[in-house]
Amino acid sequence: MSTSIVIMMLIVSLLLGLAGLIFFLWGLKNGQFDDGEKMMNNILFDDENELNEAFKREKKIKKDN
Amino acid sequence: MSKIDCNHCGLKFDKSSLIEQKDSDKTLYFCCSGCQGVYNLLQSQGLDDFYKKTNHKELSPPKEKLSDSSSFDSPGYIQKYTKKIDNLIEISLIIEGIHCSACVWLNEKVLHSKDGVVEANINFTTHKAKILYDPKLIKLSEVIETIRSIGYDAFAYDAKAQEERTNRQRKEYYYRMAVAIFATMNIMWIAVAQYSGYFSGMKNDLRVYLNIAEWLLSTPVLFYSGWIFIRGAYFGIKNNIVNMDILVSTGALLTYAYSIYITIFTNHEAYFDSVAMIITFVLIGKFLEVLSKKKAIDKLDLLSLQMPFESLIVIGDKKKTIAVDSIQEGDLIELKAGERASADGIVVKGNASFNESNITGESKEVYKDLNSNIVGGTLSVDGWIQYIATKTYANSTMSKLINMLDNTLENKPEIETLTRKISEHFSSAVLILSLFTFIFWYLNNNFETSFIIGISVIIIACPCALALATPLASLVGLGIGIQESILFKESKFLETVAKTDTVVLDKTGTITIGEPHVVNYKKISTYDENLLFSLVSLSSHPISKGIKKYFKNKKIYNTELENIKTIVSKGISSEFNNLKLLGGNNKLMEDFKVEIPKIDSQNTFFYFAINGNLVAIFELTDEIKNGSSELISYLQSENIDVHLLSGDTKEVCEHVVKNTGIKNFKYSLSPFDKLDFISNLQSKNKVVMMVGDGVNDILALAKSNVAISMGSGSEVAVDVGDVILLDDSLLKLKKTFEISKTTFYLIKQNLGISLLYNAITIPLAMMGYIIPLVAAISMSFSSLIVVLNSLRISYKNRKIF
Repeated sequence: MSTSIVIMMLIVSLLLGLAGLIFFLWGLKNGQFDDGEKMMNNILFDDENELNEAFKREKKIKKDN
Repeated sequence: MSKIDCNHCGLKFDKSSLIEQKDSDKTLYFCCSGCQGVYNLLQSQGLDDFYKKTNHKELSPPKEKLSDSSSFDSPGYIQKYTKKIDNLIEISLIIEGIHCSACVWLNEKVLHSKDGVVEANINFTTHKAKILYDPKLIKLSEVIETIRSIGYDAFAYDAKAQEERTNRQRKEYYYRMAVAIFATMNIMWIAVAQYSGYFSGMKNDLRVYLNIAEWLLSTPVLFYSGWIFIRGAYFGIKNNIVNMDILVSTGALLTYAYSIYITIFTNHEAYFDSVAMIITFVLIGKFLEVLSKKKAIDKLDLLSLQMPFESLIVIGDKKKTIAVDSIQEGDLIELKAGERASADGIVVKGNASFNESNITGESKEVYKDLNSNIVGGTLSVDGWIQYIATKTYANSTMSKLINMLDNTLENKPEIETLTRKISEHFSSAVLILSLFTFIFWYLNNNFETSFIIGISVIIIACPCALALATPLASLVGLGIGIQESILFKESKFLETVAKTDTVVLDKTGTITIGEPHVVNYKKISTYDENLLFSLVSLSSHPISKGIKKYFKNKKIYNTELENIKTIVSKGISSEFNNLKLLGGNNKLMEDFKVEIPKIDSQNTFFYFAINGNLVAIFELTDEIKNGSSELISYLQSENIDVHLLSGDTKEVCEHVVKNTGIKNFKYSLSPFDKLDFISNLQSKNKVVMMVGDGVNDILALAKSNVAISMGSGSEVAVDVGDVILLDDSLLKLKKTFEISKTTFYLIKQNLGISLLYNAITIPLAMMGYIIPLVAAISMSFSSLIVVLNSLRISYKNRKIF
């Protein structure tokens, strides 16, 4: 195996891993993992209604500020 | 009869007892009007999805009677619990009645649908909600009413700065751990490639590239994740303390620097993997400690909750409600039944019974009339009085207690933990040995060899095992505690309990149950016991409850009594078919000229008379809890001094002491006396454990080295306590000692293992037999042994219990 291929693989895999880490840290910062049990159940509350709700809420926050 | 589910809460009831509601196509059943109301509200708002989401879980029916919510709008309340963010207000609420994630969903949904509520976020685990609202559009009381309308209840709590700080600290550890673990895992893979290359041969340039990759990965581990240790080492040096952080950071920094040297100037394997491993392992150990740290609580606020926000004062013929802080000496304050006194004072008009248990610890009510002293923070149970404030609110007894508590908690004495003691000496010894090794080798060898050997001493002495020894064993100990319903709030208390040599016990609620209990029942002439049962059922006084409990086992039914009168602090009178019933203490009997025999005893008596003739006498006493004598004899066999403290009279204490075998006791103590007693013991170098449950014990609890509270005790006492016995059993206190002693024994064993390991390997490293590569591998091995040894506690415990 040539050295350059090993180096390239190393770089690519590290970058991919880094992306995962960054997303994880981002989620951590957003408080997505603050409440373990709620996080597990979030998948149940993820339909059209929730999207509409979230949209309305955004609008409300904008209006208030 | 068939049982069917209530359509809202899902609890099963007999069909006949349910409320029927005819809907368009089906019949609905509800157990109460509360459930019906909530169901209809949800239907009308299109929120019936809720029932799908609960997955037919049982809910609790909504509470019927709730206190008036308008008091939530008082300026004092708002100021105390809310935070202003721009022109919005943020409040933290605890929501009662949350069972499942659907409840969270429903609450958030309903709140979001309200105008003015900008953001509502409920934590499912803690039931705490953060709500951001616009005060121009919605009032706080309306927010709380919204939650109540769907069958939950909410009350504000102070989102304490301290709690937020703990959470932030924990989050910071998560970040650092995530980075460290990610990088270390990747370094491990690269290290595998390098080590296999070491044996099978590898191109030199590839080895250098792998070194560079490791270098890149280990840099954030050392300087971001390891920053905690570098910072700790800096403060250590500044304060002339050699701590474990110094050893960790010097080891890691030196190895890192040396590895950079290898990468740039040679083509050997570098030791970046050791750097990352040391930091990651020790960080995990430290994180375990942070995880089991007590959630900081604001003790002040809970106590203040017991205090009124406002008082009704009388000026001339006008009455005015003012904030407690603006009460002046000499103000005339009016107090109705069920209210708490704000400032201290003297009664000028009326009479009332007071529950002073938060000052004296006794559940018996105290009768107050003209010229009696009123203590701030005590509760008027019945009656009506006006009193003149003799002190301002801030100088009143309860406020003083609160201030003192804060002070005492901040200065809580701590015993030095074993690990800290050892690591101090250990770190300096290793650093000095490493330096000597380097100098010794440098006399005969070149710089590089001597430097490697010097460093290998530090790496081999890596305190990983040492750092993991305590947190791991503690974590297992805490886990066993929880299984036994013993809650250790912080792991260090395991060690403190194990080192305790003096135990101070409170009487009421700790040694005794705290409720009067009938010990002797003398029937003077035959009478209808149903009448007495009905009479005592009318009162909520502890003595009435005790008698009611006594009759519960017999087949007794309630009769309709007429003309019921409660005579403050004395008893109750009533009529039944021309029979005059009278039940109460000796004072009541004297008032109604009923002849009673003279009895000399420390117990409480209750007399029952019909038409002026005494028919029955009850003797009541506060029962001693099961297992008290067993606990005392266990403590004495472990050479622990036991003291009993009580706010009660000498006679009552003597009775308890005689029955439990306690040798030392003190009586008629105020909360401040109890505090002095503890400080006095501590000044004699005793490690003091205080066991208590009431507000009157909190100062002593706060002062003690380790405070044990009963789970059913007052909320403040539970908060101040370091260890909580959730089921109030005294035998659990014995178990607390056993768990702590086992855990501490294991901690010592773990420390022993890691020291023994070092005793063998450090001389080898000094002689130059161990290269850093071997050091790194054997280091993980020692950590592994410590981990396995800690898990042994659960096994050991099975044998003990």
